[in-house]
Amino acid sequence: MAPLRAGRWIAAVPMAALAIATVYPLLFTANVAMKTRHEYVLDRFAPAEGLRWDAFASAWAGADMDRYLANSLIVVAGAVALLLLLGSMAGFALSQLRFRGSRLLFLACLSALFIPFQVIMVPLARTMGQLGLVDTYPGLILAYTAQFLPFTVFLMTSYYSGIPSEITDAARIDGNSVYGVYGRIMLPLGRPALLSVGILNALFCWNDVLIALLMMPSAEHRTLMVGVTALRGQYSADIPTFAGGVLIAAVPVLVLYLCFQRQITAGVTAGSTKG
Amino acid sequence: MPTGSPPIPAGPATAGPAGDLAPAAARRAARGPRRGSNERFPRAERLAPYLLVLPAVLVIAVFRLYPLALGVNFSFTGDGDRNGQPVGWDNYTALFADPLFTASMRNVGLLVLLLPVAVAIPGLLATFVYLRVPGHRVYRSVYFFPAVLSPVIIGAIFNLLLSFDGPVNALLGAVGIGPVDWLGDPGIAMFAVVGVHIWATFGMALVVFLAGFATLDASLIDAARVDGASLPKVVRHVIVPGLSRTIQFVVVTTMIGMLTSMFGLLYVMTGGGPEGSTYLPEYYIWFQQGQMGRPALASAASTVLFGVMLVVGMAQIAVLRRAGRED
Repeated sequence: MAPLRAGRWIAAVPMAALAIATVYPLLFTANVAMKTRHEYVLDRFAPAEGLRWDAFASAWAGADMDRYLANSLIVVAGAVALLLLLGSMAGFALSQLRFRGSRLLFLACLSALFIPFQVIMVPLARTMGQLGLVDTYPGLILAYTAQFLPFTVFLMTSYYSGIPSEITDAARIDGNSVYGVYGRIMLPLGRPALLSVGILNALFCWNDVLIALLMMPSAEHRTLMVGVTALRGQYSADIPTFAGGVLIAAVPVLVLYLCFQRQITAGVTAGSTKG
Repeated sequence: MPTGSPPIPAGPATAGPAGDLAPAAARRAARGPRRGSNERFPRAERLAPYLLVLPAVLVIAVFRLYPLALGVNFSFTGDGDRNGQPVGWDNYTALFADPLFTASMRNVGLLVLLLPVAVAIPGLLATFVYLRVPGHRVYRSVYFFPAVLSPVIIGAIFNLLLSFDGPVNALLGAVGIGPVDWLGDPGIAMFAVVGVHIWATFGMALVVFLAGFATLDASLIDAARVDGASLPKVVRHVIVPGLSRTIQFVVVTTMIGMLTSMFGLLYVMTGGGPEGSTYLPEYYIWFQQGQMGRPALASAASTVLFGVMLVVGMAQIAVLRRAGRED
C-alpha cells in the first residue's frame, strides 16, 4: 500500500488530536486533585505544584470510600464467581453434550440478551423485594448474575464449541462421569475464556450504577460507583477532593485495563465476528 | 465399511466424522459402548446435561424472562389507590400525556439521528488504524480506555470539563467563541451528554471494527489501490461491502448502548434537567419507579422502551440487509 504513505501522515494529525482528547480529561482531573482548593480557584489549568496526595486521603477518609470499596469488592467477587460457575457449566453442556431440548434451552438463554435491565427493573425490584433480597449482598449478586449470565453463557458455549468433542468422548471412555469431564477437563481447558469473560463481567458489575441504586438503597450498602455519585454533593465547594475521590474509583479499572487489555478487547469483539 | 478406522468414540456427544460416513449397522455397533457406559450410571448420566444447564436457565428464567412478562402485565394495573386493579390502557394514556415522557421519546429520535455519527467516527478511525497510520498500535489502546471507565466516573470528570469556566470553554474562548453553558442550556445539554457518551464508547466500536477488518481480504484493497482508486473510493466500494456484517453489528449495539447505558451519565451530569430536556426512557423509568413511587406507570414506559428497541433493532437489520444485497 505504498501510495498511501503521504495520506497516512495526514490522517495521523486528527488521530493524534483525538488521542489527546481521550487522555486529557483524565490528566486534567488528576492535576486538579493534586492542587489545593486555593490553587484551583486561582487557576485551574496551571500544573499542580507537586505530587500532593491530600485530596485523595481526605476523599478516602471523608466520603466512606473504604466501606464502598469493600461493598463493591464483595459484590463483584460474588457475582463473577457465580457467573463463571453457572456460565461454564451451561456452556459445556450446551456445546459438548447432546441432549433433548438443548437447542431450545440455548435459545432461551440467548433471548434474554435482548431484554435490557431498564425494561425489567420494576418487576425485578418487586420480585427481589418479595424474596427479601433487596438491600442484601446476595440480592445484588443475584441481580448482576441474572443481568450478565446470558452473555456469559453465549461466550462460554461458543468457546467450548471450538473444542473437539473427541476430548469429551475420550475422557468418557476412560471412565469419567459427565461431571468429571466438566471438573477435570473442561474447566482447566476453558481458562482463557473464563479469564476473558471473568474480567469483562467484573468490569460490568464494577461500573454499574443503575442496578446498584435499585437493589441497594441504604447508604451503608452503597457500591463504590454509587458512592461516586454522592461525591459531587458532598464536595461541591472542594473540587480537588471531589477529583481525588473520582480518581480513587477509577484507578482499579485502569490497572485492570493495563494488565488485561487483550482479554478485554477479545471479549468485546467475540460476539461480532460470529454474529 | 470403516474397518480400518479406530473405534468410534463413545459418549453422549456427537459421533465423529467417521460415524457420519458409516452405514447404519456400523453406527449401531458403535453405539454399543455408549449404551454400556450409560448403564453404569444410567439415570444420573442422562440427567447430567440438564443438571448442568439448570442453574443458569433457572436464574435467567426467574430474573429475566419472568419479570418481562410480569412487567407487561403490571403496566395494565394501577398505581397508588388503584394498586393492583386492572386499569386497561390508562398508564399508556398517562404516559403519552406526560411532557417528560414525550421529551424522552423526542430524545430517542435525536439518538437515532446521531447514530450515523456515532458509527462513522469509529469506522473512519478503524480504517486509519487498519491502514497503519503512524502510531496506530498506541492509538488503539488509547482510544479504547474510556470504554472501561464507569459512566459515573466519566460523568463526574466531564462535570469538571464542561463547567462554565472549565477547560472546554477555555479552549473555545481561545479561538474566540463565547462560553457555552453545556449542561445548563436546555437546547444544548442533550447534545453535550450524547457527545460525552460517544467520547466514552467509540473505542469499543473501533475495536469491533478492527476485528472485522482482520477478516477482510487485504489483497482486494491492494488491487484497488494499484488500479488507482482513491481512498474514499476504496472505503465505499471495497471496505464497506466487505464489512457489512460488522457494520450491522456496530449499528445495532451502538443504538442499544445509547438507549440503555446512558443512565449513569444522565444521573451524574444533568439529572434529567435542565427543564427535563435530557430525559431518556431509561431515566424516566427510574424516576417514576424510584422517585415518584409509580411503578405501574414505570412499567408502561418499560414496555414502550422494549417495543422501541425491538422496532429499531429490526428496522436497522432490515435496512442493512437490503443495502448489503445491493452490493
